[in-house]
Amino acid sequence: MLLDVRDLHVEFRTRDGVARAVNGVSYRVDAGETLAVLGESGSGKSVTAQAVMGILDTPPGRITGGEVLFRGRDLLKLKEDERRRVRGAEMAMIFQDALSSLNPVLPVGDQLGEMFVVHRGMSRKDARARAVELMDRVRIPAARERAKQYPHQFSGGMRQRIMIAMALALEPALIIADEPTTALDVTVQAQVMDLLAELRREYRMGLILITHDLGVVADVADRIAVMYAGRIVESAPVHDLYGAPAHPYTRGLLDSVPRLDLKGRELHAIKGLPPGLTHIPPGCAFHPRCPMARDVCRTDVPPLYGVAEPDAARGSACHFWRECLDG
Amino acid sequence: MSEQHYESERVVAVTGVGGTVDLGADGTERPGKAPGGPGGPGGPGPRDRPRSLWSDAWRDLRRNPVFIVSGLVICFLVLISLWPSAIASGSPLACDLAKAQEGPRPGHPFGFDGQGCDVYTRTVHGARTSVTVGVLATLGVAVLGSVLGALAGFLGGVWDAVLSRITDVFFAIPVVLGGLVLLSVITSNTVWPVIGFIVLLGWPQISRIARGSVITVQQNDYVQAARALGASRTRLLLRHIAPNAVAPVIVVATIALGTYIALEATLSYLGVGLKPPSVSWGIDISAASPYVRNAPHALLWPSGALAVTVLAFIMLGDAVRDALDPKLR
Amino acid sequence: MAEPITEPVLEVDGLVKHYPLTRGVLFRKQVGAVRAVDGVDFALGRGETLGIVGESGCGKSTVARMLVNLERPTAGSIRYRGEDITRLSGRALKAVRRNIQMVFQDPYTSLNPRMTVGDIVGEPYDIHPEAAPRGDRRRRVQELLEVVGLNPEHVNRYPHQFSGGQRQRIGIARGLALRPEVIVADEPVSALDVSVQAQVVNLMDRLQSEFDLAYVFIAHDLSVVRHISDRVGVMYLGRIVETGTDTEIYDHPTHPYTQALLSAVPVPDPRAREHRERIILSGDVPSPTDVPSGCRFRTRCWKARERCAVEDPALAVPEEFRAAGGPAAHASACHFAATAPTGRSAPGRAVPLEGHGGGPG
Repeated sequence: MLLDVRDLHVEFRTRDGVARAVNGVSYRVDAGETLAVLGESGSGKSVTAQAVMGILDTPPGRITGGEVLFRGRDLLKLKEDERRRVRGAEMAMIFQDALSSLNPVLPVGDQLGEMFVVHRGMSRKDARARAVELMDRVRIPAARERAKQYPHQFSGGMRQRIMIAMALALEPALIIADEPTTALDVTVQAQVMDLLAELRREYRMGLILITHDLGVVADVADRIAVMYAGRIVESAPVHDLYGAPAHPYTRGLLDSVPRLDLKGRELHAIKGLPPGLTHIPPGCAFHPRCPMARDVCRTDVPPLYGVAEPDAARGSACHFWRECLDG
Repeated sequence: MSEQHYESERVVAVTGVGGTVDLGADGTERPGKAPGGPGGPGGPGPRDRPRSLWSDAWRDLRRNPVFIVSGLVICFLVLISLWPSAIASGSPLACDLAKAQEGPRPGHPFGFDGQGCDVYTRTVHGARTSVTVGVLATLGVAVLGSVLGALAGFLGGVWDAVLSRITDVFFAIPVVLGGLVLLSVITSNTVWPVIGFIVLLGWPQISRIARGSVITVQQNDYVQAARALGASRTRLLLRHIAPNAVAPVIVVATIALGTYIALEATLSYLGVGLKPPSVSWGIDISAASPYVRNAPHALLWPSGALAVTVLAFIMLGDAVRDALDPKLR
Repeated sequence: MAEPITEPVLEVDGLVKHYPLTRGVLFRKQVGAVRAVDGVDFALGRGETLGIVGESGCGKSTVARMLVNLERPTAGSIRYRGEDITRLSGRALKAVRRNIQMVFQDPYTSLNPRMTVGDIVGEPYDIHPEAAPRGDRRRRVQELLEVVGLNPEHVNRYPHQFSGGQRQRIGIARGLALRPEVIVADEPVSALDVSVQAQVVNLMDRLQSEFDLAYVFIAHDLSVVRHISDRVGVMYLGRIVETGTDTEIYDHPTHPYTQALLSAVPVPDPRAREHRERIILSGDVPSPTDVPSGCRFRTRCWKARERCAVEDPALAVPEEFRAAGGPAAHASACHFAATAPTGRSAPGRAVPLEGHGGGPG
C-alpha cells in the first residue's frame, strides 16, 4: 500500500467559528493506481490533499486527528525537515493555476533545474540538461529553446505541462493533481489528461486526481471517492459508481450534469446548497437535500457501509444504500 | 509554489462558512411556480443582520488593540485641542523671563522654556495647531486628490494623460525646499498658508491612489452591468465606482494625516510655518533646540507630544487598512 | 446558415471587432490588430436560444459585449427589430437597452458589493423610471426574487451573504427587471458548482417559456450548450466555423474543429472510454494578432491541404450535402467538410490522422 489515509480530521478557525473541513476521511492509493477524489467546492477534497502533502496553512488550519501512512510511515508524526524531504522527492503536487505556481522572473528551464540542484546536488549545467530532457518528456516542442523562456511566454496548456514536468522531476511515487485541467480549454484539457495518464502508467506512480468534473474522472480514474461536507460519502471502482451509484448524492450529481449524448428537457438538480462547514447538519450531512431522507438520517451519522455487491471494495455512507443501488 | 493555490482554497473554506446558507429556502428550485405566492420557508433568521464592508471593518477594528490605543490617544488630543484650558488653565503666552530654563516644580510639571513660558501649558495648547493642520490638510488633500484622481481614472484618454502629467509635476517639487520658498513670501501668521501648502503638495499622492483604485473597480462586471442597463456616467461614478474605490483613499489619508502634522512642525521649526506668537510644537522645538544642554525638558515635551501624535495617526491608519483591505496586509 | 423558425429579433451581419495594437508614447503608431471578432453573422428568432461555443480567446465574449453595446464594433451591424443599434446613442440607445439585457459569468464581481439585493435588482427601474411607477418598485423587486427562486424577504441583504448560485439568480433577476426580449448570457453557469449549475440552467429554461425570452447563450461547455440551445454556432478564432440545429452540430458535425471539440469532451460514463474515438488536436489556438492565411483552423487540422492556406472557406452548406439534404446539410466553413469521423456515432473506428497536425494521445 502506497498511501493509506486513516480517519483524517482537519479544522479551520474562522471568523464565524470552527469550520470542520475534513471529518474522518480515509482512503488508500496503490502504486500505479488512480484515485479520483470528487467533490464540489467546500467538500474538503483539496484540504485533505493539502494535509497529506503537508502544505496545510497552520493556523488557521489544524489537523485534529488521523494518520497519513505513506509507505508505512505516519507522515503526521514526522518532523518538518523530514517531511520536506518526502515532499517533492516522494510525493509531488500539481495545481490548477500553473501561472501563479511558477516564478515569473525565472526561465522555466532554470526552475525545473533547481529541483535537481537542491534535491540531487547536481551542477547547474547538468541540471539544465535534465530540465530540457524533462520538457521533452512532457512533449513541449523545441524544448532546448523554450527552456530559456519565461512562464508568461507559454500558453495555459504548456504551462500545465511544465508543472507536470516539475512534479515528475524527482520521480515521486505519488502525484496529487488538484483540478489540473479545470483552467484549460477542452481540446487542451484532453492533451494534458492523456499525458498525465500515460506518465502514470510509465512511472507506475500512484495518482490522486482531485476534481469536480465527473467527465474527467470517468475517463481516467480506477477508483472514485465522492466527498461531501468533509466526508467520503461513496467510494467505488469507477465502473460500479457510474453504473449504479450507491449514495443519493452521487446519484444526484450524475443526474444533474447535462450530457452531450443525452439531451433531456429538464436537468435533475439537487435541491438546496452544500452546507456551510461551521454548521454541518446533524446526522447525515446530506439529509436536508436528500430525496430519500427519513428520521434516522437526521440523527445518526451513517458509517461507510460495505456494499457487498458487486465487489467488496465498495462503500456508501447512506443508511439506505441498498434502496439507492436499486434505483 | 503552493502559495497562491492554497490561499484560494482557504477562501473557499471560509466563504463556505459565512452566514450565507439557508438550506431549502433559497436554493430550492420551484419549477413552474407563479410569482406572487408567499415567501419560501426559512425567512430571515437571527443571523440575518446586514453585513457590509463597513460593519465588518468596524467589527475588526473594535477587537484590534492597536486601534483602541491609537483611538484613545487621538480622542484625547482632539479633546484638549478643543478645550485646552480644561487641563491647562494658564495662558501659553504668559511668560516670565526670570524663570527661563527652570526645571519642573509643583504647578509647573514640565518646567519652563527659554522664554520662561510654562512648557506644560504650551505643549497642551500646541495640540490645537497640530490637530487643526492635520485634519484640515487631510480633508483638503483627500477631497482635491480623490476628485481629480477619480476623474482621471474614470474619464481616461486625454483627461487622464493631462492630469497624470500635472500630478507628476507636483510630485517633483521637493517638499521642504518648496515650503521654504513658497511660505517665506507669505506674511500671514495663521494655519491657513501651511494647510494650503500641504494640500497643494499632498493631493498628487491621493490622486494616484484614487485613480488606480477607480481603474480597478471600473473593470468589475457590476460596473459593466450598470452600463449595459443604460446608467448615466454620473450614476456609474457615484453609485458604483466611488463607494467601492474609496477604501484605499481613506487608508492612505489616515496615514498621511500623521505625516502632515510632522510636516507642519518641520515648517514651523524652519521658521516658515507658524511664527511666534502662535503656539505650535514646531516653534517650541525650534526655540528649545539651541539650549538643549541646559534645559532638555523644554525640547523633550513638545517633541514627545509630536512623536506620540504622529505615531497615533499612523497606527490608526494601519489598523484601518487592515480592517478595510485584508489583502494589503 | 440555418434560419430561425420565427421572425428574427436580432440580426448580426459581418460583425468585426479589432483592437489596434499601438507602439510609441507620444506618436502612436498602429503596428497591428487583435482580431478578436472577424466577421460573424447570425440571426436570433423570438423565444429562441442560440448557443455559441468556443474555446477561450475565440471572441465569443466580445460578441456578447457588442450585442449589449458595451463595445462598439469596428465594422458590421447588429439589427434589433430591423434597426441597426451599433450607431445609436443617447435616448435611442437607452430605449434599445431595455430590450437586450446581459447575465454575466462571475457572480462574485457582477454584483456591486456595496448595494443591497433590493437596490441591485431595482436599479433598472431607477435608470428607466418609465418602466415601473415609483410606488410599485419594491413589490416588483420582491416578485422578481420570487421568480428566480430566492426568498423575497432577503431584499436588504448584501451580495456576499449569498452563495455563488444564489448570486447568479440575483444577476438573472436584474436582467429580467425590464422585461427584455433578448438576454445575452456569457458563461452564466461556468463559475458554479455542478449541483448548482443544473438549478440555474433549469431556471433559465423555465424563465424562457414564462417570459418569452430569446437567449444568446455563450459557453465553453458543449454539454450545457446542447442542453439549452435550439441552434448552435461554433466559434474559432473570431469566426463562426459551423452552425446548425443542436442535432446537426452534435450528431452530424462536418467541420473538423467541431468534430475534435466534441470528441474531447469528457463523458461521465466510464464504459464509453474504451470504445470512444478521440481526436486530440495538437498545439494551441494561434494568436488573434496573427491569424493564419486561408482557413484559420488549418494549423491544427489533420485534413489541411494547400488549398486551405490560400482560400478562406465561406460559412455555407457544403456542395455535396446540399443536394442530399438531411442533418449534414448545414453551414460549415470547411473545404473538405465531411461527416466522418464523428465523435460518437461510429464507435471503435480509428481516426484518420495522416498529414501534419493531429497526433493521437
